[in-house]
Amino acid sequence: MKHFRKTLVAALSVATLLAQPLLVSAQELPRNVRLVIGSKSTGGDTYQNSAIVAEALAEKLGINIKVDAVGATAAFKALARDKRGTTLMIFHDQSYLGLLYGQKGYDNPFDTYKIGPTVAINPGNAYLVPKSSPYQSMDDILAAAESGERVRVAIQPGGVSEIGFSAMKNAARLRKAGSEDNIVAVNTGSQSDKNQAMWDGLADVINGSIQGNEQFTQLPEDDHKAMRFVWITARAATLEQAPEAGMGNTTRDDMLQYSSPKVSVAFDDSNDFTFDKEFFFLYNKEMDDAIVKQIDTALTEVFADGAIQERQKAAFFIPNFLPSDAARAHLVEKSDTYRDVISQITAQ
Amino acid sequence: MEFFDLISPLFVALVFAGTVVGIVFGAVPGMTATMAVAVCLPLTYSLGLANGLALLLGLYVGGISGGLVPAILLGIPGTPSSITTTLDGHPMSQRGEGETALRIGIIASLVGGLISLLILYLFAPTLADFAIRFSYVEKFLIILFALTVMAALSSNLLIGIFSGFLGIFISLIGTYDVSNGGNGEYRLIPPGTEYWLDSGFSLLPVLIGLFGLAAILEEAEVGVPEGQKADDIKHDQQRKFSLSIFKGQLTNLTRSSCIGTFVGILPGVGGSAASILAYSNAKTFSRHPERFGKGEPAGVMASESGNNGLTGGALVPLLSLGIPGDSTTALLIGAFTLQGIQVGPLFIGNNPSVWNAMIFAMLLANIFMFVVMYFAIRQVARIVTVPKQILFPVILMMCVIGAYTINYGIMFDVWTLLLFGLFGWLAIKLRLEIAPFIIGFILGPSAEVYFVKSLESFGDLSIFFTKSWIAVLLWVLIVASVTGSVLLSRRHARDNGAD
Amino acid sequence: MERLTAVTVDFDTSHLLFPGIITVVLLLLGVMILIQERKRIAASGAYWQAIFTRMDKLRFFGTLAATLLYFCAMVPVGDIWPNTGLGFLICSVFYVFLVGMLFLHQRNRRSVIPVVLTALIAPTLVWWLFTELFYLTLP
Repeated sequence: MKHFRKTLVAALSVATLLAQPLLVSAQELPRNVRLVIGSKSTGGDTYQNSAIVAEALAEKLGINIKVDAVGATAAFKALARDKRGTTLMIFHDQSYLGLLYGQKGYDNPFDTYKIGPTVAINPGNAYLVPKSSPYQSMDDILAAAESGERVRVAIQPGGVSEIGFSAMKNAARLRKAGSEDNIVAVNTGSQSDKNQAMWDGLADVINGSIQGNEQFTQLPEDDHKAMRFVWITARAATLEQAPEAGMGNTTRDDMLQYSSPKVSVAFDDSNDFTFDKEFFFLYNKEMDDAIVKQIDTALTEVFADGAIQERQKAAFFIPNFLPSDAARAHLVEKSDTYRDVISQITAQ
Repeated sequence: MEFFDLISPLFVALVFAGTVVGIVFGAVPGMTATMAVAVCLPLTYSLGLANGLALLLGLYVGGISGGLVPAILLGIPGTPSSITTTLDGHPMSQRGEGETALRIGIIASLVGGLISLLILYLFAPTLADFAIRFSYVEKFLIILFALTVMAALSSNLLIGIFSGFLGIFISLIGTYDVSNGGNGEYRLIPPGTEYWLDSGFSLLPVLIGLFGLAAILEEAEVGVPEGQKADDIKHDQQRKFSLSIFKGQLTNLTRSSCIGTFVGILPGVGGSAASILAYSNAKTFSRHPERFGKGEPAGVMASESGNNGLTGGALVPLLSLGIPGDSTTALLIGAFTLQGIQVGPLFIGNNPSVWNAMIFAMLLANIFMFVVMYFAIRQVARIVTVPKQILFPVILMMCVIGAYTINYGIMFDVWTLLLFGLFGWLAIKLRLEIAPFIIGFILGPSAEVYFVKSLESFGDLSIFFTKSWIAVLLWVLIVASVTGSVLLSRRHARDNGAD
Repeated sequence: MERLTAVTVDFDTSHLLFPGIITVVLLLLGVMILIQERKRIAASGAYWQAIFTRMDKLRFFGTLAATLLYFCAMVPVGDIWPNTGLGFLICSVFYVFLVGMLFLHQRNRRSVIPVVLTALIAPTLVWWLFTELFYLTLP
């Protein structure tokens, strides 16, 4: 009897599903959408941000959206396979930086995919030194490089973690041609590897984040683990939108002391280099423009409601909605800027 | 908020629910503790921090423990950390002592969980400071030490070591992963297969292919003979289980729990290494090393107290450095950030009540795990009497789900399952040894990164001996383990020759 | 003075270092095995022949073929109803039934009914559990 009931329930649920139209009309998102992301971690910023956006979008459109943390290369493959709009992707600047740094598995996203709207910024990308370091500021670091001292910077090569390092080299070059060679990369992996590189005395400066490293900056100087921010790469305009209380014991005002214009890492003679890690949608190249429009409209309404911004800010993201056309133009320009930085320091 | 404000009936109920669901995830071949935490993570947003953590910690403890059930009864490790449990647990089960093996495993799990929890509670910040003294060099030596178990597990030393190196070789296929410190370049990929192999083979599909599918293919080959009858296990159920089996094993249990805890504390060494190291030590220091791998209760004890020791250990770097100790605790970070709580060196000091609530949840989870599993043993042990035409297809289907969902929906992982199922069947025929192979496969990538990074950073081979006293101590252990295996193998060969 | 133990690892080619070492060790071990086991290797033809004569070919290759078919069909079937996991559900019902029948020794009404019930209930239950409750993606 129990078996029979189970079978019946199962059969009914299958029947309801089958009753759905077999061919989803291509002008709209289907009822069940898979949102793949470029990160394999469901504890990281990409997942968190995508989950917030997916939930809001699903609610607005009355559909189901599942976020799958498959990682960059698998996500690109999944996206390429389906043009019906059943698979969407959210990723960040890594999608074009991967190409600029010649990483395997990355194509030019602007040619290979449709670029969807931007949704948020993670303003956390930062560089730190040990609290006992002789370098008090980025200026000290660049001056050291200028005077021929080797400065070792721990990064994860090939993307977001490397771009600030490339900018440092570029700034050193602008101060004194050739001094960029004194800024050398210590190639590591995860954040814990970068911290460890500092504690092992293998790196003088490490790439990190406000979220991940802030507590280490609060430790007393005699603690071997203590660190100090020297540079936050986000634009001041971005940081100004962060909650005033900041993160932990570091207030928004404190953060602004570590970012441009207070800390200057020159991009050219008149501008500072800045980097905001932006999250945006990527679509299959052949996905119907009506769906692009549908998502743009839905997200415009979601951001007009204002609730999503609260959730984003609570998770230390800066809301940053640009509809697809504007997003594409913005990201192409951004990518061109960074291509220049990278080519300046590699062309010798 | 005060500690007692955080503890409510809901809190306790969530720990219980988490533990039960975790055990189920752990017990189904192909499902892991990590997956259990991943699927429940979104739920925690609405639960609040303390209640959310109650659920997740329950899942974590349950998931790690549940793995022993299929490892013992079916010879398929439910999670990667119970591989070494199969080595002795399954032979016991085949002898009709499945229930005894389960009891031993569950008690050992409880002991491991409690010891590691105690260590976590008392020494978390101190141990974290100690753990960061392990640089690439010491981590490589730890991995090397764990790899020496390949020799200990081999019935033919030469072939066993060959199988282990083959495992390492296959684990290196794909990209030298940037997120582990690699340069993102491809290697060992046959031309034309880059599209599939760029990320290499994932551990879980390889594991369930080798242990699950391969075993079923073996059965199919011999025509699927009828399985164990209810009568076979009745004998075991009638025998009274007595704690005396643990006599003389106190050192083993304590040592294995501490090893598990310590491996958990070291970020980036990996959870599966915990039970492997514990097992290898138990064998090295045992008075009867020759019994290991043939159904020795001490092996099950070492493996299970080792992998549950991991649970407390992995929380040490998470809560005192903000760095996860294994893949499951990496997800717990998500639970904290969802609630806007930072984890880092100040966490315990800033959030004493959350910290206490977590310890309490872990304690409850361990107790619930023990109670639930201990009282379900009799029913669970009957799984071996389920007719194979029912059991096998369902196991195969569960393996497919596990493979497909482990990386959130990648079909190549399902093909990996088939590939390694077939490979496993062939390997048995070729007399290759599966246990060293899988251990090589698990530890290969970490061995590579730490070895190459050591040389990259220090530029000198002698660094492996001169880095620190920890390095020297590890060498002593490595030499002891290798010598032990070689002597044992010699004796084994001699005894066989004398027959 | 150059120390004998000094080594320089170039990051750009560091992906080849460890695989190189492992390959060399594997080859050495392989040669040693060839020498040690030469008698058994020489007799391997007869060994495999014995395996194939004794093998239950229908069950062994049947299981392999069914699994192959199952994996091949899952994604295309699933693509008809994208992201619902129905590809998994439908194919699993057939697969569990097929393999169950293959493994049965006496195919009479009494023994077939449990197989059929399992094939219907088990996939449906796990499909419901994983797609609806745990919200995981299945093909």
